[in-house]
Amino acid sequence: MTGWKDSAGGRRVMAILSSRPFLTVAIVAAVWIAASFASRGFGAYGHLRYLVELGAVIGLVAAGQTFVVIAGGIDLSVAAIVTVSAISLPLLSWQADPTGLAPVLAVLALTTIIGLVNGLGVALLRVHPMIMTLAMATFLQGLLIIIAGGSAVTAENPLVHWLGNARPAGIPAGVLLWVAVSMIVLTVMHATPFGARIFAMGANPLAAALSGVPVTSTTLAVYGISGFTSGLAGVLVLGMNGQGYVGIGDPYLLASIAAVVLGGTSILGGLGTYAGTIPGAILLVTITALITVVNASPGWRSILFGSLILGLLLLSGREQARR
Amino acid sequence: MSTVSSARPAGALYWPVQARRNIGVRSLFLVVLAFLIAYGFLFPGLFSASGFAKFTQSWFPLALVAMAQAILMLTGGISLAIGPTVSLGAVIAATTMAGPLGVTGGAAAVALTGLGIGAATGFIVVRLRLPAIVVTLAGSFIIGGAALLILPRPGGAIPEWLSDLLAGDTPTAFVLLVAIVLLWKLYLATPLGLSLYAAGENPVGAYRSGVPVDAARVAAYAISGLLSTGAGLFVAAQTGSGDPVIGAAFTLNSIAAAVLGGIGFLGGQGTMRGALAGSLLLSLMISVMFFLGFTPVAQYVAQGLIIIGAVAIPQFRKVQ
Repeated sequence: MTGWKDSAGGRRVMAILSSRPFLTVAIVAAVWIAASFASRGFGAYGHLRYLVELGAVIGLVAAGQTFVVIAGGIDLSVAAIVTVSAISLPLLSWQADPTGLAPVLAVLALTTIIGLVNGLGVALLRVHPMIMTLAMATFLQGLLIIIAGGSAVTAENPLVHWLGNARPAGIPAGVLLWVAVSMIVLTVMHATPFGARIFAMGANPLAAALSGVPVTSTTLAVYGISGFTSGLAGVLVLGMNGQGYVGIGDPYLLASIAAVVLGGTSILGGLGTYAGTIPGAILLVTITALITVVNASPGWRSILFGSLILGLLLLSGREQARR
Repeated sequence: MSTVSSARPAGALYWPVQARRNIGVRSLFLVVLAFLIAYGFLFPGLFSASGFAKFTQSWFPLALVAMAQAILMLTGGISLAIGPTVSLGAVIAATTMAGPLGVTGGAAAVALTGLGIGAATGFIVVRLRLPAIVVTLAGSFIIGGAALLILPRPGGAIPEWLSDLLAGDTPTAFVLLVAIVLLWKLYLATPLGLSLYAAGENPVGAYRSGVPVDAARVAAYAISGLLSTGAGLFVAAQTGSGDPVIGAAFTLNSIAAAVLGGIGFLGGQGTMRGALAGSLLLSLMISVMFFLGFTPVAQYVAQGLIIIGAVAIPQFRKVQ
């Protein structure tokens, strides 16, 4: 995935072997091997497939987050957007549309618009991304409780059901969706002018603006993408769960940021790749699965989760020395 | 941007320096004053002794967490673990104070926990060079988990006399706040305090000029932890018991108050008086909405809108 070229020779191989995405893949492999020796069911194909399926949701949320972080921002509203998507989709059911595609598209449009509003606040009103997206999350949370109340809503949408449960050729549809999105994201990020502009903006916004990068529209696009992929993740999570409720998206805020950082993308922007976020997402799911195996109280589980992320950060998330 | 602590206030220089620091927050002070007057008209009870006491009590924890966040942001850091730290302070207070440790021992445990958590976070961020936002996000899980371990469901107890003292009809909270502000002034005069702004504004330059950048930043995290658990103790005294998730709202509110008060995200920009005014404004907004009969849900929505508006409008004017 990191642009393998045989002609470039051994140095290229070394660069890949010492890159952060590869390091993250190596950690995942090590954890999987160790865990399958420790616990017998862990290494079974069905279980690993289930882990990747769960990882797809985090991977989708983290796709948008990777764009935003590389562009020098951060999106703390992803969890709320996932919930918006998972709750508003069951409310939109049109009898006239047997495939269920129209409501999904409508919801994705809605979440993209939410992302664009984030982008408007950041680019035009110059509100700091953290404030803008946190305030957006607060706002959405209030709105969601007004709309849905405390009750769970059940989805009766064939497309969503298929996405969450179907296994064409033995591979879960959600994973296929993730693979497709990953291809597009990697292409856009590393092989288009738009991708180059994002890196430039994250590395030095002023220099990028002076060199002719359209900062306003690029910022808008980046947050729009984040809204879109979070919405997509919401659809997938709804399909896997069958029901949407307030709080369904909550685990994905820390998970998306952790996946991005564990994958070697600098939280300061301008440096990173989605190729690292992918194993980062799988690593997170693996950790969660391991913690569930250790039968512990919610308090201990939370402590373990935080500590493991902190420990993994020490391996792969360190910033450059200041001096 | 404040040219801070360029020298020890040598008499004549002191007041001009103080006045310059007010420039950025003057309009904020006016807004807070307007809100206070409006509040006073709407609810004349504010001017009685007990009304004033109740008002400062609702402001006090928010003021503490705003200070806790502001001191980090001044050094270029941030914490997303303020809320869980407040909860942890509350559950420790509620489980120790009625037990054999007593109020003094319980308060000491709360203070030591806050200092320890803060110092550990600071060490990880500063010495191990991990990004503060991710460390504190992971830390929020660890701290929140610890709070759940100590007290899995709301319970525990605070001695009644302490609740009466802190959250009764006397303005103890206000006196405490004044004392904390005075201590902050004293801290700014110590070498570590003087380094605070330098470490935030230009860490490399400050380091090369011999400023103890790392020590100043770790100390800031430790003080921030202390203020957060202190707020937790107060919240526990207010409610008379502990609750492992009572602090949840404080993470966002602390950042909002600091940013409303003109503290910049990049470090070295802003003043503590601004952060305090920001927290007062936020607290006034919350009480006014409460009294006007907004449902908690509508409060969420309104709060989100107001924060964006309040942060955006001054920026917008600057651009034009």
